[in-house]
Amino acid sequence: MITNYIKLAIRGMGRRKFFTFISLFGISFTLGILMVNLSFLQSELGANKPLSNKDDFVFMSHLALKRTHFDTIPNIDTTFDQGIAVYDTTFEYKKTGSSMTQSNISHDLIKTFFSNLPSTENLTAFNPESINDVYINGIKLSIQTMYTDANYWKMFDHSFIEGRSFNETDVEISAPVAVISSKTALNYFGVSENVIDKEIEIGNNSYKIIGVFKHVGKFIPFVSPDLVLPYAVEPESPYSNYYNGSYRAMFQKKSDVSVKKMKEDILTAAATIPIDHPDNQYGYNELEVIPASYMESFAQNIYYDKDPEKSLRTAKWIVYSLFLFFLLLPTLNLINLNISRILDRSSEIGVRKAFGAHQGNIIFQFIIENIVQTFIGGVLGLALAIIIINILNKGGFLGSAELNLYPKFFIYSFLATLFFGILSGLLPAWRMSKLHIVKALKNAKL
Amino acid sequence: MITLKNITKIYKTKTIETTALNDIDLHVPKGEFLSIMGPSGCGKSTLLNIIGLLDAPSSGTIEVDGQQVKKYASRATAKFRNEKLGFIFQSFHLIPDLNVIDNVELPLLYRNMPSKKRKEMAASALESVGLANRKSHFPSQLSGGQKQRVAIARAIVGKPNIILADEPTGNLDSVMGDEVMEILGRLNKEDKTTIIMVTHDERMAKKTDRLVRLYDGTQVA
Repeated sequence: MITNYIKLAIRGMGRRKFFTFISLFGISFTLGILMVNLSFLQSELGANKPLSNKDDFVFMSHLALKRTHFDTIPNIDTTFDQGIAVYDTTFEYKKTGSSMTQSNISHDLIKTFFSNLPSTENLTAFNPESINDVYINGIKLSIQTMYTDANYWKMFDHSFIEGRSFNETDVEISAPVAVISSKTALNYFGVSENVIDKEIEIGNNSYKIIGVFKHVGKFIPFVSPDLVLPYAVEPESPYSNYYNGSYRAMFQKKSDVSVKKMKEDILTAAATIPIDHPDNQYGYNELEVIPASYMESFAQNIYYDKDPEKSLRTAKWIVYSLFLFFLLLPTLNLINLNISRILDRSSEIGVRKAFGAHQGNIIFQFIIENIVQTFIGGVLGLALAIIIINILNKGGFLGSAELNLYPKFFIYSFLATLFFGILSGLLPAWRMSKLHIVKALKNAKL
Repeated sequence: MITLKNITKIYKTKTIETTALNDIDLHVPKGEFLSIMGPSGCGKSTLLNIIGLLDAPSSGTIEVDGQQVKKYASRATAKFRNEKLGFIFQSFHLIPDLNVIDNVELPLLYRNMPSKKRKEMAASALESVGLANRKSHFPSQLSGGQKQRVAIARAIVGKPNIILADEPTGNLDSVMGDEVMEILGRLNKEDKTTIIMVTHDERMAKKTDRLVRLYDGTQVA
C-alpha cells in the first residue's frame, strides 16, 4: 500500500510541476536555512574545541567609571507684605546629571584584583583586537593578533598540530615567541605545518613560532585568533591607565561552584578597587563591572541589555520565535497549496472511498505523499545548506567563523521540516477525507 | 440479494426541496442482470448510489447480500463495499498517476493483502478483460474502450458479488460499447455476478435480464 502511495506521490509531483516546484522550493529553502543557522549556533555556542569548557566561563569585558553630579540649586519664592516684596531663598542639593566612561580593562588591574578568587579555577586576560598587516609577495595579509597569558591555553583547549603554547616562564621573560593558527601558517609560510622555529615579522619585531594550533573559525575573535603573543611583549599603549586598557577577563569557575557564585565573587572583588587613584582624572565616584556567562555575553550581541541574564532570556525568545516563524510561514503556504492540489483529486478520493477506503486511509495516503515530498525537499535542502555553507566559508562573509554541517543538525532540521510538512498536509487531507463520495465523484474532470 | 423498501431520497437546500426518489421498492435476486432506465434527472444514478451504499436514503430500508445497512459513513460499510460491491463509472475514474495494474489493484489495497497476491489477482482480472499486455501503460495511453475495460477489471478484481455500473457505455462508441456489454454479460452468465446497470441506451438495456424504468423519481415499470 505504501509503495502504491509513494509511486502516486512521485508521479503526481511530475505531473503538477509548478505546484511541485513551489512546494519543494519552500521545503528545501526552509530546511537549508535552518541547517545553516543551526550550524552557525553550534559552531559558535557548541561545546567544541577550543570551547569545551565554555559552560564554566564567566566573562568580564568592560569596566565603567561613573559620576553622579550634584549641585546646589537655589529656589527663590517672592511674596508681598504690605506692598513690599519679600524674598525667601531655599537651597536644594540634588542630582543634576551623570556621566560615565566605559572601556576594556587594564591588564594589571585584572591581575591585581581578580586573581585567586575563591570560586576561580583559572583566570586569563586577553586583548584580541590588534590587527597587523603584513605583505607576503606583495599581497596584504591582515593578521588578527591577540596578546594574552599562559592561562589562556589552559582554558581554551585548542588542538595543536605541532609545537606548544607559551608558558608562564615565556611570559615572565617577555620571550619573543608566537603561537599561530594553521590558517596563518598557510597564509604566511605557504604550509600549515613544519613551521616551528621559523620567524614571523609583526610590525618591527620578529617572533619565533613555537606552536601551531588547528584553525577552527569562530565569529568571536578571542576564540579564533590568527596569532597569539605573550602580553608582556605588547607595546605600551598611551591610552592605558590604572583602570582602563584593552584587556578582557575570562574566569573559569571551579566545577563545584555555580556561575552565580562566580559572578558574586567578581563583584565583591570589584568593590575593593580604589576609586581615588590619580588616573581617575574626572572625579568618577563609582566603578562598575558586569560579569556575564559565555552564553549571556554572546546573547548580548543579539539583544543588548545591561543585565546579561535578561539579554540571554530575550535573545532566546527572539531566536525561538524567529525559528518558529520561519517554519510556520512556509507551512501555512504549503497548507494553501496542498488544499488546492488535493481539490484537484476529489474524484480520486471518491473512487477510493467507493472501493472501500475509510477516512483514515485517505488521511494516511496524503500524509505519506507529503512525507515523500518533504523527504525530497529535505535532500535538496541538505544540498542547499552545503552550498550556502561553502559560499559563506570561502567568501569569508562571517569573518573568521567557519561553519560545519553536523549530521545531527540535518536530522533535527529534517525532523522539524517533516513535522511541519505533515502538519501542512494534515488539514487538507482531513478536509478531503470527509468529502461525500457522490459529491467527490461529481467533481471529476473528464 | 438486494432489497429496497420504501426508499425515498429528498435533497434539501435552504429554499428548495427536491424529491429525487419517491417510495421505491425493488428486489434484485442473485445473479440477475438488471438495467435501470429513465429520462435525465429521473433519479437513476441516485438509486444506483443508494444501492451501492455511496449515499444514504432519506427514508426506507436497504438490505444488500443479507445485511441491512444503517450507517453509511462507517468503517464497516466501507469494508462491506470493498468486499461485496464493484463500481463502474461512465467517466471511468481511473487514477491518472497510476499505471493500469496499479489502478486495477486499488480495491485490494484496503484488504491488508500482500503485494504479490494483489498483483496476481490484478493480472488475472486484466486477463479476463483482454488487457494483460497493457498493465504498464497509463490511462492517458489507452482508448476509451480500453479505459472502461480497465475499470471493469478494477470492479471485479476483488471478486464482488454485485457490480454497479453507471452508464458504462455512455462515453463509448457503439463498437466499444458492445465490447463492454459482452464482458459484463460474460461476468453475469459465467460468474453469476449480480449486475445493476444504469443506461440511456435501449439497445444495451435489451441485453440485460430485466428493465426497471423510473420517471421523476418513481418506478413506472
